Amino acid sequence: MLNLIQNEWMKLWHKKGTWAMVALLILFIIGPGIMMKYQEIKYNSNNSETWQESEQQVINLNKEMMEDENISAEDKKHFEEEMAISEYRLANELPSQEDGSVASFMSFAGNMLNLVTLFTVIIAASIVSSEFATGTIKMLLTRPVSRAKILTSKLLTTFIFGLFLYVVTFIVSALVGLILFGGGTGVELEMVNGQIVEKAVWNDLAYHYLLSGGDFVMSILFAFLVGSVFRSSSLAIGLTMFLSFTGGMIVMFLSRFKIVKYIWLTHSDLTQYERGSSILDGITMPFSLTILAIYAVLFLAISYMSFMKRDVTA
Amino acid sequence: MTTQPIVQLQNLSKTIGGKQLIQQLNIDLYPGQITGFLGPNGAGKTTTIRMMTGLMNPSEGKVIIDGLSLQDNYEEAISKVGVIVENPEMYKFMTGYKNLLHFARMHKNVTKERIQEVVRQVGLENRIHEKVSTYSLGMRQRLGLAQALLHRPKFLILDEPTNGLDPAGIREFRMYLRKIAAEDGVSVFVSSHLLSEIELMCDRVAVIQNGKLIDIRDINVETSSFYYIEATPNDQAAALLQKLDYNFVAENNGYVVEIKKEDIPKLIPQFVNEEIQLFAVQPHQKTLEDQFLEMTGGGQIAESNSK
Repeated sequence: MLNLIQNEWMKLWHKKGTWAMVALLILFIIGPGIMMKYQEIKYNSNNSETWQESEQQVINLNKEMMEDENISAEDKKHFEEEMAISEYRLANELPSQEDGSVASFMSFAGNMLNLVTLFTVIIAASIVSSEFATGTIKMLLTRPVSRAKILTSKLLTTFIFGLFLYVVTFIVSALVGLILFGGGTGVELEMVNGQIVEKAVWNDLAYHYLLSGGDFVMSILFAFLVGSVFRSSSLAIGLTMFLSFTGGMIVMFLSRFKIVKYIWLTHSDLTQYERGSSILDGITMPFSLTILAIYAVLFLAISYMSFMKRDVTA
Repeated sequence: MTTQPIVQLQNLSKTIGGKQLIQQLNIDLYPGQITGFLGPNGAGKTTTIRMMTGLMNPSEGKVIIDGLSLQDNYEEAISKVGVIVENPEMYKFMTGYKNLLHFARMHKNVTKERIQEVVRQVGLENRIHEKVSTYSLGMRQRLGLAQALLHRPKFLILDEPTNGLDPAGIREFRMYLRKIAAEDGVSVFVSSHLLSEIELMCDRVAVIQNGKLIDIRDINVETSSFYYIEATPNDQAAALLQKLDYNFVAENNGYVVEIKKEDIPKLIPQFVNEEIQLFAVQPHQKTLEDQFLEMTGGGQIAESNSK
């Protein structure tokens, strides 16, 4: 099996497209980083007020807002929290992070994980279908290796490639953050149960990476399914992208029906639990994970069955 | 034939969408023998070969390779087979060597030395580290042969192997196949449209039409003997042959007559007696092409079996 993965890995990196993906990903992290740094410098040179003054401003602004009688209890709580944090900063000499920090840049770069998913979907969609398109599938399947093993090696290679892109995103954004924003001082604060505590930025970041894995895995399995059943990479990429763009809408349309709870699209974006507002009322993380696991097994079963039974006529 | 067949097709049938593409095919292939596989377009050659290589599953029947059923014991059975199905499609974005390395990794016990050895055998040493996309068709055929030989197969299946090779390449290829058949006892199964090629290369031909095996015979063993007779005047000669009750057909300036060797001395005086001038009496071998066309009735494509 290791040999087979080695083969797939070799083929993958002999394609120019793969290198282009990595280059684009790195570019999409460095580019915004430089732009952010540029704006920050420009802002700082025009802005002479001290951090104490700006914290005071936040307090005053929030006080003004509170005077409005129409505000809801929820908004009021939010304003009070902000004021409490600012007062805490002034009292304890803790400046906030006006400037970007490594962590804040990295959590921004966390958005690039969508790009990682997109690129990995492209690989997942084409890793089987391209063998059919070029006719090399005949050379591949007339070897003393069962079809199940070949498909498994392709699936594993896809995931390894995806994880590799994850690591690239993490390392590059850490490096760029360190180089551009490494000098930043300051602490992120948040209110938890009425206590002001330092925000666990690193934990949040790790959590975001983990949750984005839901969409990542489901998109890959779906693209892999379509790619190996219909042997068309464009169909697989198109369909997967279409569903990921319109997934929310489809769920909204179907939300009148009970069945919507049992569609993977409702659950694949696990970052909804991070935001605290799920797309549908009454679903929980364990429930979502269960549904996703069932669909994952289903997708894999169909992929394997069709690949192993098929008569190759390419 | 006393030796054990290395490959046996037993009642091999394939039905797709209600059409019987292959019907009850029974062929045995023996070690050291090169068998040609002939048939008009759409006769089912490619389908048969795909079933023999595990790319397609037969609807009925079995392919037995070295005693193992390809369907039940796939990995072990196929490890004895080297395959070139149609044009050898390689990974064009990689070098020839990387392609071979790729396939070598899928077999057990294929060392780097073995790869080098095969590369030398097919004469690709100078270009093996260049991308396949820069190769000519002939070079791709050579690379295709190299990948099929890597694991020292006992049985080699080739579909249109000489397509794209230059005359010298074809000759070299033919000699090479003869050599591995004779020296290593490899059984070779070649499908080709080039009848003259098959004739030069093979010991035996299997002919298939409309999915049925219509003949399997050794080459160069004539079932009946023919002589070419040239004589003038032509019509007198024809009349004489007619009178003597021989089967004959006109060819060039004379006639091809079905006649036994021992009857020739009796026939010649007849010509002399009739004062017909005799110019040539020589053994006539039917070419494979003649035989093929005779067997397949002109070789038109079967109407419903085409792809």
